[in-house]
Amino acid sequence: MKRIFNWVLNTATGGLTMSVLGLALIAGQAQAQDTRVIQGERYVPTIWIDPDGCEHWVMDDGAEGFMDARRTRDGAAVCHRSEICGVMNTDQLFATDRYAISHPGRAALENFFRSANAYGFLIYGHTDSRASDEYNIRLSNNRANAVAQVAQSIGARVVDVRGFGERSPRATNGTAEGMQQNRRVEIYCLR
Amino acid sequence: MNIVKSIILLASGAALSACVSAEGLEGGGPLALGGIGPDKTVDRGINAHHLSTLVAGIWVSPDGCDHWIIDDGVEGYLSPRLTPDGRPVCSGVAPPAVATGPFKEGTPIPDTL
Repeated sequence: MKRIFNWVLNTATGGLTMSVLGLALIAGQAQAQDTRVIQGERYVPTIWIDPDGCEHWVMDDGAEGFMDARRTRDGAAVCHRSEICGVMNTDQLFATDRYAISHPGRAALENFFRSANAYGFLIYGHTDSRASDEYNIRLSNNRANAVAQVAQSIGARVVDVRGFGERSPRATNGTAEGMQQNRRVEIYCLR
Repeated sequence: MNIVKSIILLASGAALSACVSAEGLEGGGPLALGGIGPDKTVDRGINAHHLSTLVAGIWVSPDGCDHWIIDDGVEGYLSPRLTPDGRPVCSGVAPPAVATGPFKEGTPIPDTL
């Protein structure tokens, strides 16, 4: 109820708000402010999943087709986790607070990029929630770039590189195991 | 526009109106009864299928970013390719304003235009 009411207030012009308030004064008609009549037609979509694993709304209206990407309210794409083709725990690649890749880490990454059979890669760095947000954005950016340089050094195509710091945790930062899972570089393969 | 192209367009226009006016043709549903109803989740008529089975290619916009493109017979679909956080993917898989990949392979209906 509250949600519909807020929506009415948000979308109404001043005039309509006035009339809603007017109705509310009439005994027995207080409910009128919670509903209004929409002229419309039901268009029920289905979901199509693209080769990356992300969802799109799709409708076929006879001779016309309609499609749009499905997003969460913060603008992120709605995707299935199977699209991640590599998640590297950064503890195995980097020393604490550093972004130089260890020798065995570099070898493992080169092997990964060679065998991934992908057209290109999206590379995203993440940290746990210790230290400041700004510091973690910078650290995760540097680490994602270090991984991207390994990809480029063997001729792989890097389409996007970014550090998200502590803003996209995968697990709780309340436990040591959770924090370890959050310290990661995610690699998405484009095929 | 030359006269041959006009004839092709006229003929395809006739074919298209046949599709939307007769049940059983590509894309068509019980349109004589006033539309296909609220369920827009399937392609009806010839080569009927659920829309989750569409086959896409990539169309690169003039800005250089990727979109999924699907030619499903009478219907066409276009939708952006996104990074997980919702920004456009601009992969360089093809030059701007070029479509590539199997986007016409989900339908047996030839694309004559």
